[in-house]
Amino acid sequence: MAKTRELVKRRKAIRNIRKITRTMELIATARFKKALDRAVEAEAYTRKIAELAADLSASTGSVDHPLLKKRDEVNNSLLLVLCSNRGLCGGYNAGILREANQRIREVKADGATLHLELSGKKAIAYYRYQGEPAEHTYVQFDFNPRFDEVEEIAERYLADYIAGRLDRVEVAYMRFLSASRQKPEVATLLPLSSVAPDVTRKAAAPAAPAKPVEYEFLPSAANILEELLPVSFKVRLFKCFLDAAVSEQIARRVTMKQATESADDMIKSLTRLYNRARQAQITKEIAEIIGGAEALK
Amino acid sequence: MATATSSRSLQCVVVTPERAVVDEQADFVALPLYDGEIGILPGRAPLVGRLGYGELRIKRGGQTKRFFIDGGFVQVRANVVTVLTSRALKAEEIKPEQAEQALREATGPAAKGSADERLKAQERARAQLRVARHAGSHDGERGV
Repeated sequence: MAKTRELVKRRKAIRNIRKITRTMELIATARFKKALDRAVEAEAYTRKIAELAADLSASTGSVDHPLLKKRDEVNNSLLLVLCSNRGLCGGYNAGILREANQRIREVKADGATLHLELSGKKAIAYYRYQGEPAEHTYVQFDFNPRFDEVEEIAERYLADYIAGRLDRVEVAYMRFLSASRQKPEVATLLPLSSVAPDVTRKAAAPAAPAKPVEYEFLPSAANILEELLPVSFKVRLFKCFLDAAVSEQIARRVTMKQATESADDMIKSLTRLYNRARQAQITKEIAEIIGGAEALK
Repeated sequence: MATATSSRSLQCVVVTPERAVVDEQADFVALPLYDGEIGILPGRAPLVGRLGYGELRIKRGGQTKRFFIDGGFVQVRANVVTVLTSRALKAEEIKPEQAEQALREATGPAAKGSADERLKAQERARAQLRVARHAGSHDGERGV
């Protein structure tokens, strides 16, 4: 008797959990679509900047800019770790933190000063536990990071970099390759590896123009290029944030889908157990009644 | 992209890092370059320019659309005007009180940052106010 009631109770609890995970899956799906749409829209800007950079560098030749120059000695290295604010997204945070930790060890082995910056409550909690002090923490970035907010951070990095307070800026984040593939990665944003921001998603290869267009530059190609470099950096950083947002939602959707499925399995096996227990109980009761009737004869 | 019809009109595309704001046909586009305004008519020679803060006007038929543009770049090629800017606000969306506040902050004694940054902030706020005033004073036709 007690056992059947217990089983019913457990099954009910699991049904409730299933409802929650299922809802979370749906929410993650909706947010993923939204985040992806934003990323695709942002891609138009990135592509245009890349195109412009290509046109400009074609007409200026080699460029010499502090943002492009690799420094021989790296004394101050900054690492920005982009994690999620909330859990229940599988190995998403763990993957990023693993990459980040490895990078931290490398930086420390090189003898450089590490400046750690964290985004997302999960990263903050983790490094607090590890006893690794962070210089800046952000929790305002969720599934739709705003350019204004990212720009603020980017401006600070640029100023610090040019002033020589930083020699390298890196970001540990989940790179979005496709809806079914994301990869935790540490990317170096400063010094800039090239003038143009890399375009990774489809339509990546810009169709090479048949003949270079003769542009009129106002004020001059070199001057515009100088302005373009900080923008290129900002766009890259923003793309990291967008990638992280999209990847987080995918990770959550997948995890919640799995959770819902295992809840289904569990409900099934509990139902089977319950039926068996119920039947056993009925059999027992019948046996008792018959036993009682026999005794009265 | 240059088809037979587009030789008589321009295609104006405005993109920000967050989204594509405008993508439409236009007869005339006025842009704030770093040192003054530039007007672009169909058939303009290819151009790449640095933008300043100010008003972007897109004229189509008798109607003019106004935006506030926050720096960036412009590329003109084959009758396509591409504006890359970090922010594009519709003139009606500008909040004059906010811009005035920003201007007060930038000019006031408590202004932060280097002289360069302050000047930039001032210029931005003034440009915003200018655009907002234009939008308020006359909504319809404006001399090209």
